[in-house]
Amino acid sequence: MQSLDKTQTRLEGGVSMKTAMPWIVSAVMLVLMPFIFQSNSAITIMNQMAITIVFALSYNMLLGQGGMLSFGHAVYMGVGGFVCVHVMNWDIFGSIPLPLLPLLGGIFGMILASLVGYFSTRKAGTVFAMISLGVGELIAACSVIIVVFFGGEEGVSGDRTYGMPFFGVEFLSQIEVYYLTAGWLLISALLMYLFSRTPIGRMANAVRDNPERAEFLGYSSRWVRYNSFVAAGFFAGIAGGLFAINYEILTEENLNLTTSGSILLVTFLGGVGVFFGPVVGAIVFTLLQTVLSLETEIWSLYVGALFVATVMFFPSGLAGVMQMHIVPIKLGKWRLLVMPYIVTLVPAIVCILGLSGLIEVLFHARHAAIGETEMTLFWVTFQHTEIWPWVVFALMAALGFWLARKNAPQLMEAWHKANTPDGADT
Amino acid sequence: MTAALDIQGLRKSFGQTEIIRGIDLSIGRGERHAIIGPNGAGKSTLFNLITARFPPTSGSVSLHGRNLQGLAPYQINRLGLSRSFQITNIFPKMSVFENVRCALLWAQGYRYSFWNMVSRSRALTEGAEAILDQINLLQRRDLPAGVLSYAEQRALEIGITIAGGADVIMLDEPTAGMSHSETDYIVELIRTVTEGKTLVMVEHDMGVVFGLADRISVLVYGEIIATGKPADVRANARVQEAYLGAALEADH
Repeated sequence: MQSLDKTQTRLEGGVSMKTAMPWIVSAVMLVLMPFIFQSNSAITIMNQMAITIVFALSYNMLLGQGGMLSFGHAVYMGVGGFVCVHVMNWDIFGSIPLPLLPLLGGIFGMILASLVGYFSTRKAGTVFAMISLGVGELIAACSVIIVVFFGGEEGVSGDRTYGMPFFGVEFLSQIEVYYLTAGWLLISALLMYLFSRTPIGRMANAVRDNPERAEFLGYSSRWVRYNSFVAAGFFAGIAGGLFAINYEILTEENLNLTTSGSILLVTFLGGVGVFFGPVVGAIVFTLLQTVLSLETEIWSLYVGALFVATVMFFPSGLAGVMQMHIVPIKLGKWRLLVMPYIVTLVPAIVCILGLSGLIEVLFHARHAAIGETEMTLFWVTFQHTEIWPWVVFALMAALGFWLARKNAPQLMEAWHKANTPDGADT
Repeated sequence: MTAALDIQGLRKSFGQTEIIRGIDLSIGRGERHAIIGPNGAGKSTLFNLITARFPPTSGSVSLHGRNLQGLAPYQINRLGLSRSFQITNIFPKMSVFENVRCALLWAQGYRYSFWNMVSRSRALTEGAEAILDQINLLQRRDLPAGVLSYAEQRALEIGITIAGGADVIMLDEPTAGMSHSETDYIVELIRTVTEGKTLVMVEHDMGVVFGLADRISVLVYGEIIATGKPADVRANARVQEAYLGAALEADH
């Protein structure tokens, strides 16, 4: 029941230790990460992650907060990035400190969004989705037509080190770029979070849930959507600027439908209903994209399967799954879940490994160069012509599936128990 | 003194079918006015015409002497007219508190602000809690509105409608689908929250309006066949023939 003092703390609102804590922890984490993962490739991955997080959070301003399903959000990131990379090639760049460059990307992303949003945010739903698809395709097509700006097929490249040194830092090394990116990530994420707490941010939720009712509360649904859209364009542009700084090249790939589609995937994977959902999605996706792609050529198949599984079984995404565990933890009953999780998830993982093993062997047998029969999988080297790998993987898949299936009811029951407060009847 | 709501020659056709067939109605300030009528009489359509959910085929609606023609629902709301819906129309995924707070934002002058934090505004929090207290939902404060019981959702619907402080409140069948005790509760709620305001409500349940309304209009097949004090309307022969008789027979 509602206690009065709880209301009091809420009233003081704004900044409290509880609300500031996740941000302080994130900031410390961002500072410490390069000390934990020191290799160059790890820093490259983290840079990519940070950019994807900004982009995914900006996308979720549309999808999660505003209920607008966009198939063309890469356009705003791409255009912001192209502007930045062009600026890098101008003489004036020598008098601009590099850390300010993403702001310029943001402004141009915002300008484009304010033009497109003027007609695309009239309606949500299918109309909005179709317009976003059309505009996305249109601008992607422009990239081979307007060569001056988009640089045709080879894109536009620049050199970030020509910028004005920022307190002596010239951003020659990856680690300097990392801290620049991390700083922008923190600022952007905080601003986007605060945006969701403003009157317009709250009304974006209201319009998402029920645009008609919002109209009868004095708000124009269209104008509310438009504001979210422009803000999302701004932060996408910032992500574009960061991309330009990090990679020093932008191509058609940065604004085409594939990129737009993958940010939808990233955001949904992480969970659209929670603010930090896209962060989780971006981290997981970037890891899969970078680490898994080193291991297997068909990594995108697994990402696709993961996405389908998420949509089907966990529509609230990975962050949603995490949040589901708050109740058992609050009730102090999470221990009930440990054993059932182990007996269900371990066989499930074995099953998945078995299946992917089969797919990999099959893929190798079909697509490897003629005569090349040797392959390494899970640190074991074998010939795909032999029978035993097939048998082992098939057995793993079958046994894992059977065990997981058998133990699943146990998990369901434990889950139910863990979510039921003591004393409440079931 | 101009009427709170003045309707002149209002008509609405959907294709060949004329649903509202010329309505003239004037509702004074501070009046509690009920519109009753059998199913399909056009009560909800009349509501939707007044609040610009649909455009009228002809005729005009004025709020405090101001013609509402061509205005969008949100503009009409800003002029001080607020409505509820027959089918519960809330923000299901947002918390109960959030539902009411959103209804307060425009009225408290926040407009499309992106530089204020809603949680820092004492006026917003206290205002929303006062409304929640009035509609008896304080204890449900943090639940998603979609999980409330039906009667609670109806109460929330009324809470959202009155929160903005509009002086003309329009309620579309606020007691639809409720049990007797729930109906009594909602009627009492309506009586208190509309104190000193103009109330226009559509009702199907006779008992509700006879106790509550200052005046009643009876709408049958898109026309008002009688307007007056509850007792006079009850005594009106045409009303008895067209509506009350049938309903009373059905009741017994």
